[in-house]
Amino acid sequence: MSAAAEAGTVIPLDPPVPAALADEVGRRLLFVSPEITGYRLDTAEDGDLRGVVLYSAAPLDAEAVAGKLNRLLDADVRPQLANPATVVWSSPHQRATTPAFPALAEAGAVTEVGEGQVAVGEPLLSLLEFFDRLVLDALAEDFTATAYRYPTLIRTDALAKAGYFTSFPQHLMLVTRLRNDVDVYREFHRTYGAGLEPGVLALGGNVDYCLPPTMCYHTFHQHEGRTLDPGVHVITARGKSFRFEAGYATTLERLWDFTIREIVFLGPRDDVLAARETFMGRAFALLDELGFAGTCETGNDPFFGGTDTPSRIWSQRLLGLKYELRLPVAADRDIAVASFNFHDDLFGKAFDIGAGDPRETVRSGCVGFGLERLAYAFLCQFGLDEAQWPERVRAGLREDRR
Amino acid sequence: MTDTTATTDTGDARARIRAFLLPHMSGQVIADTDDYFALGYVNSLFAMQLAAFVQKEFSIVLKPEHMDFDNFRTVDGLVRLVGTAA
Repeated sequence: MSAAAEAGTVIPLDPPVPAALADEVGRRLLFVSPEITGYRLDTAEDGDLRGVVLYSAAPLDAEAVAGKLNRLLDADVRPQLANPATVVWSSPHQRATTPAFPALAEAGAVTEVGEGQVAVGEPLLSLLEFFDRLVLDALAEDFTATAYRYPTLIRTDALAKAGYFTSFPQHLMLVTRLRNDVDVYREFHRTYGAGLEPGVLALGGNVDYCLPPTMCYHTFHQHEGRTLDPGVHVITARGKSFRFEAGYATTLERLWDFTIREIVFLGPRDDVLAARETFMGRAFALLDELGFAGTCETGNDPFFGGTDTPSRIWSQRLLGLKYELRLPVAADRDIAVASFNFHDDLFGKAFDIGAGDPRETVRSGCVGFGLERLAYAFLCQFGLDEAQWPERVRAGLREDRR
Repeated sequence: MTDTTATTDTGDARARIRAFLLPHMSGQVIADTDDYFALGYVNSLFAMQLAAFVQKEFSIVLKPEHMDFDNFRTVDGLVRLVGTAA
């Protein structure tokens, strides 16, 4: 990722980073400093990463940035043990894949309206609904799910309890408001009537709510302190989710503001693991039937800046706690459109969710489908000409239009 | 002679591994085939402690080909890992 015609600052990596961890470096660079707008990884002949070139509108203070970057890599990346992905599913289909965003933009179906924010119209709107229903139908083959719609805002203390602040501070999006005080409103009128600047935060300061990064935290918060009946419980919700992605945002592949269909499994360990596996099998069969190209492999969450970040990343990959469903969107690129996760007792303990008699902490797992990504990958693989789409998709859309 | 040495080394490794695991098993006695992760005696982050332990204790370097959870979830798996990576 680079930004042409901008200043490039060379930052040596000392010690070098093994080639196998290059992606872990790349996914952090735009969070090192807000001035960084792009980067290039400098890989040596032996494959090790010995430096990066960071792009910015104005030259960077190389010494200061090098210090920040190397400290981050010392904490987050260099201690990681290289652990290649294990592929658990590979589609038998191969497809010529073309990024669809330019054609969608040309047709007026997508409009970039802000950083990581895209307004979408047809055919994406219909495809979002269709794929969402397809996921729910696949779930219904084996499970009776309880559906909820959650508020857009989530309480800050719910995210804190989930450990979000120590796991993913780089993605957090806060919500605030003006303090409800007439003097504050008067000052606001006087100073900010024509527009806002960061000084306005002095008139607010409330941080009780955040934008949710995913739906499952709502589910854990909703079930906090409860004792559930024995067996596995399946809860599903669809909602807008928000993650600050800095300059990593691009087209519909990585948004700050996107839609997740989430499914949460709560229950005994073996039941939750079996439920995840069963649903993974359903999802793979569905993709196979539709003719998608893609794979599913072990992955890890973007843990960032915590004291145990390397341990969490490595153990997540080793234990198969996270599987990512990856679909090609270009000849040389794929994106994760869904993940299948097992949390063990992490959230059951954090939110005191139990089951049975004697009461035991529930285990949890979740599945999240990024609906914009799924619909976008479909268009990249099958094109914009509806006549060329699989019959099941065309029939589903015809039914929706009635 | 070779076989005898191998048996002794394996037995020694097993004893050292069990000694390391003992204080982490919530007071439970574990068999060599017990999956202490599935039994809930340790959480996922303990895997990194295991990796650090075997690397230091047995002077081995773990490589990508060793990254199989079956090598970490039981005493038998760790003994096999140490034998393979040495």
